[in-house]
Amino acid sequence: MHLKKYITLFWLSWQRQLEMRSEFMFERARSLAIMLSVYYLWSALLENQTSVLGYSRQDLLTYVLLMTLLRAWVLGCVTDRIPMEIAKGRLSELLLRPISHVGYWISQDLASKSLNIGFAVVEVSVFAWLVKAPLTMPTEVATWLWFGLATMFGMIMYFQLSYMLGVMGFWTAQSWGPRFCFEILLEFCAGAYFPIDVLPPAAQRALMALPFPYLIFAPSSIYLGRIHGGAIASCLLHQGVWIVVLSFGVSQIWKRGLRFYSAEGG
Amino acid sequence: MKTFHKYVRIWLCLVRNSFKTQMSTSFASLGYLIGKFVRFGFFLFYLLAIFNRLPGLKGYSMPEIVLFFMTFNFVDVGGQFLFRGLYGVKSLIEEGDFDKILTQPASPLFRISVMGMDLLDLLTLFPILGVSVWAIMKLPYPVHAGDVALFLVLLINAMIIAFAFHVLIGALSVKTQELEGAIWVYRDVMTLGRFPINVYSEFIRGLFVTMVPVGVMITFPTRALLGHLSWPLAAYSFGIGAAFYFGSQLFWRKMLREYTSISS
Repeated sequence: MHLKKYITLFWLSWQRQLEMRSEFMFERARSLAIMLSVYYLWSALLENQTSVLGYSRQDLLTYVLLMTLLRAWVLGCVTDRIPMEIAKGRLSELLLRPISHVGYWISQDLASKSLNIGFAVVEVSVFAWLVKAPLTMPTEVATWLWFGLATMFGMIMYFQLSYMLGVMGFWTAQSWGPRFCFEILLEFCAGAYFPIDVLPPAAQRALMALPFPYLIFAPSSIYLGRIHGGAIASCLLHQGVWIVVLSFGVSQIWKRGLRFYSAEGG
Repeated sequence: MKTFHKYVRIWLCLVRNSFKTQMSTSFASLGYLIGKFVRFGFFLFYLLAIFNRLPGLKGYSMPEIVLFFMTFNFVDVGGQFLFRGLYGVKSLIEEGDFDKILTQPASPLFRISVMGMDLLDLLTLFPILGVSVWAIMKLPYPVHAGDVALFLVLLINAMIIAFAFHVLIGALSVKTQELEGAIWVYRDVMTLGRFPINVYSEFIRGLFVTMVPVGVMITFPTRALLGHLSWPLAAYSFGIGAAFYFGSQLFWRKMLREYTSISS
C-alpha cells in the first residue's frame, strides 16, 4: 500500500495552509458570521417560548451550533481549485506523478478539514460558553456512533459532488459560475442555514429525494435524537446508495474529462 | 462641469469594458446570476415558511421582517454593483496595473472603484423591488411619502458607508497586499443585517451602531420606512456616514503616500 506518499502530501498541504494564515482566518470569520446571525435569530424567536416549529429551545440552538461544525467538517472542501489546475495545465504535472488524482485531492481535503475541524470546535465551544448556550448532548454511545458515521458519509458525499464539479473544468474554464450556483443551492437544501423540517411537508419530501439533506440535516437529526432505529438505518442506507451512485459518476466524468483534456497552458 | 463630463466618460467606458468582459465569460456569469436569484429566493422562502407559522420577531410582523431583508439586499447589491473594482486592488498591485492607474489623469480611487461594475447585478434588483412593494402592501398601516423619502436618503447614506468600507479595505490591500479577503468578511458581517439588530445581544448591537454600522446601514433605513425612526437617530446616521467617508478618504491617501511600487 502506497499510503506513505499520501500522508506526506497531507502534511505538505497542512503546512502550506498554515503559511496562508490570513486567508484561513478570513474563512473562519465568515463561518462565525453565519453562526451569529442564525443563532441570534432563533434565540430571539424563542425568547418567550419553550419551543418553536417542533424544536425545543435547547435542540434548536444546538442545531445552529452543530450546523457550524458540520459546515466546517462536511462543506469545507478544497476541490474548487481543480478547474484552475486544469486551466493552467498544472494537471499534466500531477498526471506524471505516481499518485492518483483523487488520492491527491483527498489528502489535500483532509489537511484542510483537519484544520477547519480544530478551529471550528474551539470557536463553537468559546461562543457556547460566552452566550451560555443550552446544549443537547446524546447520552447513548450508539447515537454518537451513528452521528459520526453519518457525518463521515456526508463528508464523502460532499467530496464526490465537489470533485465532480471541479472536473467540469475539463470542458469549460468558466465552471466557477455554475459552482457558485450549486453551492448556494446545496447550502439551503442541506439545512446549512435552517433545519429542513421547518419547511412545508411537500418541500421537505422534494428535498429528501436529493442527496443534499444527508450532508448536514440528517447527521444533525441523528445527534439531536429526532430520528431513531429504522429512520437512522434508512438515512445511512440513503447515504450509502448516494455514495455508490456518486462514485460511479466521479469515475465516469474523470475518464471522459481526461479524454477531452488537451493540456492547455501546460 | 468639464471634470464631471470627463468622469462620466470614464465611467461609461469602464462599464462598457466590464460588460464585455462579463459577456466573454457568459456561462460563468449566468451561473452567478442564477446563483444570486436562488439565494434570494431560498432565503425568502425560508423566511416566509418560518414567519407564516410564528407571530413575529421582536415585535415585527412578517412583512416588516421581509422589508429588513429587502433593505439588506438593496445595500448588498448596490455595493457590489458600484464598488466591485475595489475587490481587486491586490491583483492590480501584483500585476503592475496599479502603477499604470496612478499615472493616469483621473482619481485612482474613482478609476479602481468603478472598473468592475457588474451590470448583471442590476437584474437582481427587479425581484427585490417587486417583493418590497408586495411587503409594503401587506403592512397593516400606510407608508407615508415622507418616510419613503427618508428611507431613500438613508439608503444613500448606507451606500456611502459601504463605499467607505470598500475604500478602507482597498487601502489596507495597498499597504499589505494581503488583506483582500477582508472584503468577504465585510460582506458576511453585512449579512447579519438581514434581520433587525434588535435580535442581537447588547454588545453586538453596540458594535452595529458604531464601529461596524450594519444597523445604521440596514436597520435604521427600514425603521424609517416603517415610520419608527426618530429624527435624532436619522441625524446620527448621517454623522456616522460622514465620519466613515472622511475617515476612509484620509486613510486611503495615507496608504497611497506610503505605497512603493512593487511589481512594475
